[in-house]
Amino acid sequence: MSQKPDDFEALADNPFYVLGLRPDCSRIDIEREGQKLLGMLGLKLKSAATYMSPLGPRPRTEDKVRAAMAALRDHEKRLAHEFWASLPPPAAPPKPPPIPETKGPGPAPFAGAFAALGWRRS
Amino acid sequence: MTSAPLYVGIDLGTTNSTAAVFDGEKVTLVRNAQGSPITPSVVRIDARGNVTVGARARRFLDTDADNTRSEFKRLMGTAQGIRFQGAGVERRPEELAAEVLRSLRADVRDQIGVLPARAVISVPALFELPQTSATSEAARLAGFERVELLQEPIASALAAGWTVEDQGGAWLVYDLGGGTFDVSLLETRDGLLRVVGHDGDNFLGGRDFDWAIVDWAIAQAARDGVVIRRGDPAHAGAVRKIKLAAEEAKIELSRVESASITVPGLDVAGAGYDLDVTLDRETLERLCAPAIDRSIAVCRRLLQAHGVADGGLTRVVLVGGPSVMPVVRRLVSQQLAVPPAEGLDPMTLVAQGAAIFAATAGLEARPSAIEAVRGAKVWLQYPAMSSDLTPHVVGRLVERTGPVNSVPTEVQLGRADGLWDSPWTPLDEEGAFVLPVSLVPRKPNVFRLTGKNIQGNAVTIDPPTLTIVQGLTISDPPLSRTIGVALASNDVRVYFERGAPLPARRTFTLHTVDSVARGAEKAVIKIPIVQGEYEQAHLCRLVGALEIGGKELKQTLASGAEVELTIELDRGGRMSARALIPAIGQVFEHVAHLLVPEADPEVLASTVTATRARLGELRTDAFRRQARDSIERLGKVESALDDVGRDIDAARGGDTDAAQKARRTLIEVDAQIEAVELDRRWPELDREAREALIWTTGWVQDYGQPHEQTLYQETAKAVDKARQGRDPLELQRQLRLLRRLGSSAYGRHPEAWKHRFEDAAADVGNATDVARAQALVKEGREALAKGDNEALRRVTQKLWQLLPSAAEDRRKGHESGVR
Repeated sequence: MSQKPDDFEALADNPFYVLGLRPDCSRIDIEREGQKLLGMLGLKLKSAATYMSPLGPRPRTEDKVRAAMAALRDHEKRLAHEFWASLPPPAAPPKPPPIPETKGPGPAPFAGAFAALGWRRS
Repeated sequence: MTSAPLYVGIDLGTTNSTAAVFDGEKVTLVRNAQGSPITPSVVRIDARGNVTVGARARRFLDTDADNTRSEFKRLMGTAQGIRFQGAGVERRPEELAAEVLRSLRADVRDQIGVLPARAVISVPALFELPQTSATSEAARLAGFERVELLQEPIASALAAGWTVEDQGGAWLVYDLGGGTFDVSLLETRDGLLRVVGHDGDNFLGGRDFDWAIVDWAIAQAARDGVVIRRGDPAHAGAVRKIKLAAEEAKIELSRVESASITVPGLDVAGAGYDLDVTLDRETLERLCAPAIDRSIAVCRRLLQAHGVADGGLTRVVLVGGPSVMPVVRRLVSQQLAVPPAEGLDPMTLVAQGAAIFAATAGLEARPSAIEAVRGAKVWLQYPAMSSDLTPHVVGRLVERTGPVNSVPTEVQLGRADGLWDSPWTPLDEEGAFVLPVSLVPRKPNVFRLTGKNIQGNAVTIDPPTLTIVQGLTISDPPLSRTIGVALASNDVRVYFERGAPLPARRTFTLHTVDSVARGAEKAVIKIPIVQGEYEQAHLCRLVGALEIGGKELKQTLASGAEVELTIELDRGGRMSARALIPAIGQVFEHVAHLLVPEADPEVLASTVTATRARLGELRTDAFRRQARDSIERLGKVESALDDVGRDIDAARGGDTDAAQKARRTLIEVDAQIEAVELDRRWPELDREAREALIWTTGWVQDYGQPHEQTLYQETAKAVDKARQGRDPLELQRQLRLLRRLGSSAYGRHPEAWKHRFEDAAADVGNATDVARAQALVKEGREALAKGDNEALRRVTQKLWQLLPSAAEDRRKGHESGVR
């Protein structure tokens, strides 16, 4: 039984990155953002198809969003993920791709996540 | 026909079943032809083949038992046929469940005027995969075009959460049904209902109370010199009549202090006997106490697993007929130090919750509730029920081409009460929009969706409206048991850990152990799917197997071939599996043997004998080690084996349900014994942990990446915690991670693949395909000579796939054909 996700994947799949939220977000933010992303993925919208992680852009799937929501609803698990999501970035992080434009009102979560990780947009 | 939304929920119970409908605001119980919201789960098929369901059938349970059947829910998912003597027909358990569902469906039609096409049906949280699959089949047979299954405790919690105003805190749903016991720990905060975890016993229920009363009544008869044996087929009729009377007395004793059990004219092996005894409440409580204690022990286990201390609960919701008994309410409340929630009907709460859940799942019951509208078609995604007051509605045009006048470029959502409108929002380059909407609390909120074309003229949108009910948000239900694939090494490749949110889907690449020739009739690669918390496959329950037969193969499959196996679970825990073999581009989807295994009394008896022998050895060892926990645990195992013995006797008397109960108890006994074995192995495991810490520290320090080093520190702490807490399962889990980190770091050592290759090459004589393995060794030596580490890695990994699995391990691993 040694088939848990690869360590790198675990880092890149941090629920905060998957949902595009900052570690200080509220519980209702998690539900609202998760539900919105599930809806967007259900309609196969490109703007929801990827998310940024310290290891570069990763594909976002409904399974990942559900797992992320479940993890952040659990207080203890959330604490652990907050720790990982607030780690400094790797020594030479890959250059992030342009941030996708989001339509409509609501939070623009990615910008804050990048700043928290010490990245600057070129 | 009313225009309000209609959602249907059904509690398909062991003893009774109930249907409820929800219109977005209130839940209404559906009454049957007799005017009752409760329909006994009893089916009768008379000599002419006429089918009767519910109270009318129940009347014949004692007078025409050969043609009247109850409690078939406990046999769901087994191959057990249920015979109706008069009509000379046999029915599967799911066919009888379908009769009950059909009857409830007709009741909805009679009361509401709509024959529902979609519904939510509740199932016990600890139902195994074959049982959930059988429930879906029953719904299909009953004529439902789509159903979702919902775990009963979630249904209860949802109904209680909808009803009770003060929702905060941790609470327990104690659901004691006729044949199953489920307990769930829930947490409600900010309108989000979350299932923290659940536990239960698939074979504990009100029926155990009935049997305890029957045994007591039989003991009373013995005082008159009348011997009635539960395991004797000649006494089966008499026992059945006593059980019915016992059940009635039990119900009566919820209101009065004493009740009589009177059964005149009992036929005991040809002799007549009039049973007439009086049972008082005190005796009843004494008889039921062991079963209640068992249920409370399960509650404590759940609370302990989630770190909830005594007094940490805000309330307990009691569900199920037997929980009406005052002794159950009193003992549960006293021992768990928590007040019971008042004002909730334990008999119908599950059905009410299922109906509310149908709304959260958007499962409108009407066959074609939305009339076709001519206009620009839009796909919509939104939560049908939400605790959030401003959830999002996401939409996308189905067709973006067509006459300019008919294609919207902007959309607006307006609440039907006219008090809220969204701004006009342009569609993006994908023809999509994301809009937050404002909800009125605790109401169904209807929104109109309108569009404008490029010239600013109105465009009709299809669908023109959508409804969101403001209420609770329910989190994805957690998986009750870990699911994985048994490997030929007797290990388990875990697909979904216990607690994983449903629905879920996962794919792993496995490799075949043997080659299978195209057309070979008997050659089969078996992929066993197992459920359970143990590292070794033989300790987990086999719940299905996907088979790849030579007969269906388009090409011969080499040993070590890749198989991409995807397992998918829906919200109700229904499983589907799919195997893709990339080398030949073929897909296999048929999951075989999705059945609870047969429980033959003789096989069970021989298992008991073998288990007793094992128990004896372990007990001697435990006494020698002075291991108090193990001694205590083995004492419980012995008492469980006594229960199994009684159940086997009952099974020999024709009680197929008792046989299943015995089978299940034996699995649990096996798990208990395994826990004792683990305890015995503790010093060895502890030593392994210390050794692993030593060798991995060096490798991770020298060759690990920074994030691996951080993760390593966390893991090492977790290993220490598991060692201090003497938790063998957790220690094994953390050790796996530790070794993987060590191995991953070691892989960066310049000589690592050389050593691994040499180890594998030394075993080449035992490979499943020696010629291919030798060719790979040759290839590896060439790579080694060139210093091509990457090629060496590839060769070594291919070589590993050809090395044999020990036959004994493979047998234990449910004859798995993959690694």
